[in-house]
Amino acid sequence: MERAFYLDKNKCEGCTNCMRKCPTEAIRIVNEKAVINNDKCIHCGECIRVCPYNAYNSVTDKIDDINKNKFSIAIPSTAVYGQFHIGTEICNIHKALLSMGFDYVYDESWGADLVSQAVRNRVKEIKDNRPVINSNCPAVLRLIKVKYPSLMENIIQLQSPMEISAILARKKAKEIFGKNDEDVEVFYISPCPAKSIRVYSPIVLGPSKIDKVISLKEIYGDLIREMKMHHEICYSNPSIKGLKWSLSGGQCEAAELEHSIAVSGIENVLNILEEIEMGKLNHIDFVELMSCNESCVGGPFNFENPFVAKNNINYIIKNTDNSNILIDDIDRFEEFDKLGYFEQKINLGFKNAQALNIKAGIERLEKVNQMVKILPKIDCGSCGSPTCRALAEDIVDGINTIESCVILKLKK
Amino acid sequence: MEELIKRYEYEIIANDFDIAGSTSSSIKRNLKSIGVDPSIVRKVAIVSYEAEINIIIHSKGGKMCLEIYKDKLTIRAHDNGPGISNIDLAMSEGFSTATNEAREFGFGAGMGLPNMKKYSDNFNITSSSEGTNIDIDIYMD
Repeated sequence: MERAFYLDKNKCEGCTNCMRKCPTEAIRIVNEKAVINNDKCIHCGECIRVCPYNAYNSVTDKIDDINKNKFSIAIPSTAVYGQFHIGTEICNIHKALLSMGFDYVYDESWGADLVSQAVRNRVKEIKDNRPVINSNCPAVLRLIKVKYPSLMENIIQLQSPMEISAILARKKAKEIFGKNDEDVEVFYISPCPAKSIRVYSPIVLGPSKIDKVISLKEIYGDLIREMKMHHEICYSNPSIKGLKWSLSGGQCEAAELEHSIAVSGIENVLNILEEIEMGKLNHIDFVELMSCNESCVGGPFNFENPFVAKNNINYIIKNTDNSNILIDDIDRFEEFDKLGYFEQKINLGFKNAQALNIKAGIERLEKVNQMVKILPKIDCGSCGSPTCRALAEDIVDGINTIESCVILKLKK
Repeated sequence: MEELIKRYEYEIIANDFDIAGSTSSSIKRNLKSIGVDPSIVRKVAIVSYEAEINIIIHSKGGKMCLEIYKDKLTIRAHDNGPGISNIDLAMSEGFSTATNEAREFGFGAGMGLPNMKKYSDNFNITSSSEGTNIDIDIYMD
């Protein structure tokens, strides 16, 4: 699977909203329909959010994809815990997942808690390439690969909470239920297309330990119904530190890093990456970059708006007492660290990526600059390219023509 | 003398913090679009940003040039004074003569010149009351 969402061409009006919002200019309008360039798409989901016709749909697995012959584990994103009415107990969300057919639920906040410790240690060890960039937002990783490849070396080479949770959930399946790895199937309940594509088509990180991904929206109705039917008093046992990872600034806080900044929302992330590339943030130790507003609670596959979800999570945090914590995994950090569980190689993959002839590159740039001078520079998007500059590039590259410019036509 | 493929020239205005960084931004954008290796682009971005900010903060204004050769990039920064009185001191980390106004913008940590030298393959600086000239080479191999 190359994509975690698709465009329903019948619903698409070719309105240009998604094209103009796309942070990597991956979308063009061709014959009045949006077309996405897979090489440039970072799966941030801005197009899904902005589409007035709801023409973008998620392509994820379904609850029916649970293999009855396997031991199936669900890992709901910590952002999932903010999607229900205030005061909803995490244990009831887990129970609902169990009654929907899963055999076991692993709490991602435990994984996030462990990764916090790993981030803290690692950032202290790293001397070069400041600031260190987080590795848990797959949209940001792809953005760096596409637009800021020189910053690939700044990405922390650590597993994300989602991956660590999958590793530990598989370990639990073995230790408690005696299930071998090949008899286990791990599902992630995802707030966004980026985490789905990280599993389906890992290009920056190595293969995922997660097998299938279900978008939260896909099972939201079922979850609500199950929770109503089987509501009971139960005991939730999340990690407060880990829960914070679903909110902007949560990683910095959980990793207790002094010179760290948290940035959420794709536009803000673009601006900060520009500054990092110019060396303006060399004095900062760690930057937490999250593609969605307010971090994962802002994911496009969520039901609740980011701000309400944030309040819901904060309510859980306030009402959770971690003093009698019963999570043995969290105390096993040293053991897991020694076993190398947190290690994650980043596929740098930009060396020799463009063995382009400099002269040819300059010629192209000159042609583009000449073309920009002719174009009206109002960036209306009617031509099917996101800006006048993008049209100039498209003309030079032979994928659009100057006749597409409506303004120039009117002036004639 | 190596063949010059292309030369870009930019005007830098003193004390204009509204557009501080825009010249180095456009240098960076152009090099990326030309297809220069990302790690080289980053070096140029860091060096040209420092040079640009130096002209804005410390000088009466000046110019910056980007010259593209077959296997190197040259950045030339030239300003119209007042010059650096002690270059050795200016080259030491942490030394700064930035005004309070500039510091309020977050500049003036005294890392400008040392950083430029760190990221360049050749670094040459001359200064008099007439102005300061900095020439930097970054090799592309």
